[in-house]
Amino acid sequence: MVGPNGAGKSTLIKIIAGADRPDAGEVLVDGGPAHFHSAHDAYAAGIRVIHQDAPLVPGFDTVENCYLGREYPRRHGMIDRAAMRERIAMVARDIAPDLPLDVPMMFLPPAERQFVRLLRAIADKGRILILDEPTAALPAEDAERFYDVLKRTRDRGTSIVLVSHRLDEIADFCGRAVVLRDGRIVARLGAGEVTPEAMIGAMGGSAVERSTRATDTSAPKVIEVEALVAGDLTRPASLQVHAGEVMALYGLAGSGRSSLLNAIWGAIGWTGSMRLMGDAYAPRSPREAIARGVSCVPADRHRSGLFLDQDLIFNKTLPLLSSYRRIRGLPVPHAASERDAFLVAAERVSLSYREPGQLARTLSGGNQQKLIFSRWANRHSRVMLLDEPTEGVDVMAKATIKDIIRAIAADGNAVLVSTSDRDEALELGDRIAVFRQGGIVRIFSRAEASAEALSAAAQSREAA
Amino acid sequence: MTRTNLNRFGTLIAFVVLCVGFSIASPTAFATPANAFNLVQQMATLAIVATAATLVMTISEFDLSVGFSASLAAVICFVLFGLGYDVWLAVPAALLVGIVGGAANGVLVARFGIPSFVATLALGTILSGFAFGLSGGQSLFQKVPDAFKGLARGDVFGIPVLGFWIVLVLGIAAFVLNQTEFGRRLKAIGGNAQAARLAGLPIVRDVIVTFAIAGGLSALAGLLLASRLGSVQHTMGEPLLLPAYAAVFIGTTASPTGAPTVAGTLLGVAITGVMVNGMTIVGVEPFVQRILTGVIIIVAVLLRRVGRAQ
Repeated sequence: MVGPNGAGKSTLIKIIAGADRPDAGEVLVDGGPAHFHSAHDAYAAGIRVIHQDAPLVPGFDTVENCYLGREYPRRHGMIDRAAMRERIAMVARDIAPDLPLDVPMMFLPPAERQFVRLLRAIADKGRILILDEPTAALPAEDAERFYDVLKRTRDRGTSIVLVSHRLDEIADFCGRAVVLRDGRIVARLGAGEVTPEAMIGAMGGSAVERSTRATDTSAPKVIEVEALVAGDLTRPASLQVHAGEVMALYGLAGSGRSSLLNAIWGAIGWTGSMRLMGDAYAPRSPREAIARGVSCVPADRHRSGLFLDQDLIFNKTLPLLSSYRRIRGLPVPHAASERDAFLVAAERVSLSYREPGQLARTLSGGNQQKLIFSRWANRHSRVMLLDEPTEGVDVMAKATIKDIIRAIAADGNAVLVSTSDRDEALELGDRIAVFRQGGIVRIFSRAEASAEALSAAAQSREAA
Repeated sequence: MTRTNLNRFGTLIAFVVLCVGFSIASPTAFATPANAFNLVQQMATLAIVATAATLVMTISEFDLSVGFSASLAAVICFVLFGLGYDVWLAVPAALLVGIVGGAANGVLVARFGIPSFVATLALGTILSGFAFGLSGGQSLFQKVPDAFKGLARGDVFGIPVLGFWIVLVLGIAAFVLNQTEFGRRLKAIGGNAQAARLAGLPIVRDVIVTFAIAGGLSALAGLLLASRLGSVQHTMGEPLLLPAYAAVFIGTTASPTGAPTVAGTLLGVAITGVMVNGMTIVGVEPFVQRILTGVIIIVAVLLRRVGRAQ
């Protein structure tokens, strides 16, 4: 099930799961009408909705989490742990034989926790699974492992409804697809028809359009990185980005591309050397980076970007707050200048909002992301660092954000975009640096880059 | 009045209802200028400690050392008096101890990453040890300089001096929180520390400064209490801790997002102050007063949650 945010996917899921009642029509299970009066009824019918961040008890192991809310097997009045483990192990053998059963969640990586959610759903007679963005928080290689597990689940005879913004995953995994837009089903794609292009077409987006600009090597080098080592970036990395150029950093999560950005941003410790506009540049904090004309839109906007319970102006002006003073020496922001700056910036990033005073949590994902972009829209940056700028954003907002990124580059900025989305790297990057296992494998020029070449470079095992 | 407004002003209305109720119940004792004077005096030290708690809660931390800081400051001041030092040395020295103690809390929290609940409890216990040792466990009745008595006793144009302290301290705190860049940064740190760090905010410095201010305010409250009472005990500040947080929590029910605010805290202090004062006047037993105060806090927060759910 695919469609932009607000297309009606969540409502449809809620109805199937018995949480909402349909205004008209009915839900059929096994060919007969199912009258769900509550989520409990749908559960009894074997329907399981798995949300990507459905809570697990951190101190409980896999077996205990799978038994949450279920009746425990008893022996002599005591909980029969051995029986519990045996029942869970039986299902786990089929779908995820390597999943540890006796390790508390807090010690399991995110992908394994996702397996646990799946296991919990089917261990208690779940036969129709609805997965809402199951891989949104997973790095690409873990997503692959997740789909392996999901395939085995499917092969056991479980029906699966997959909701995702990652169209390539839908194309790989799903036999059929429905596309929703503006509260209705606009396309039903059958076997052989489920391709990203067909789905984007039905949603009203445009198919991947590749950057055609060539790198202007005569433009000054804005940021130069020499033998940089930081965080996940364990092998010395070097690259230069010119004014007006978009450098895409493509690779799996943990391959070092985010660490490169964070080092330039001053957010993590690093060794090596950097130059900015030809001068030595050694940021020890984001504050120093900002002062030198570096701007950043961090990954994971909820955790690292937004102040959800504050209004839009607060979220916009925070990093450069001292530039909105009424009196220069007095650290008191001037509300009118903040508001003016917000209105200009909101226009520039085509933010749709009700009023500047609304809370950031009331915006859609795409607009929240634009709000973070708007922080830097009133100043001339030199370097713009973007970490997964279109993650968890619908197709329309993605297109707008890509336009914004191109506009930032056209303004003369050096832009570095870190992404795990190959098409996005191809689409945005004037050059593409491919990261693998803590280092840059290769930097592709526009002409050399192709989907196959990028994948091969990001995942090949030899040539370390 | 819309439902939102009712939620927002419900706490204020509750306060007015309390005042009107006690005035009707005891017009000759509660609703008198003398009692109003008395009330303000009783509320002042709590208001200042609660303001310290408000600042720390704005960055989503706790400071459990506020009462201990207040005690230690008062003890140090009186010990210095005993050694013959005058007000101009004793009072700044006592305030400085509070600020340094608070900064130490901040360092433990921001630099070493110790949860503030634990760090401030431990440091507060250390401070109370010093207060105990310096006072020898005795009540101190020094001959107090007149200038020190003037800090908290008496009135100007019929308004108690402590009333001016409330206005001064809470006024500055509200201005700092709502109007300055520092205040904005504190709200950001409290809202999402990770995002604040990545937005380039000097978090470590701001957290240390916030705890230092809280320590300084607690010390000030201790000194004002000592000035009003004219004597000092090494445990005198401890009973301020829980009512201070109670006031902050009642105050959060008056803010739209449930965030602590100085105005809300003042309202919380006023509600608890009027409750205790009014119930004493109408003859409610002290043990019943405590039970009722606890019930009021629970009811206030529950009503707020019901309101928000709608």
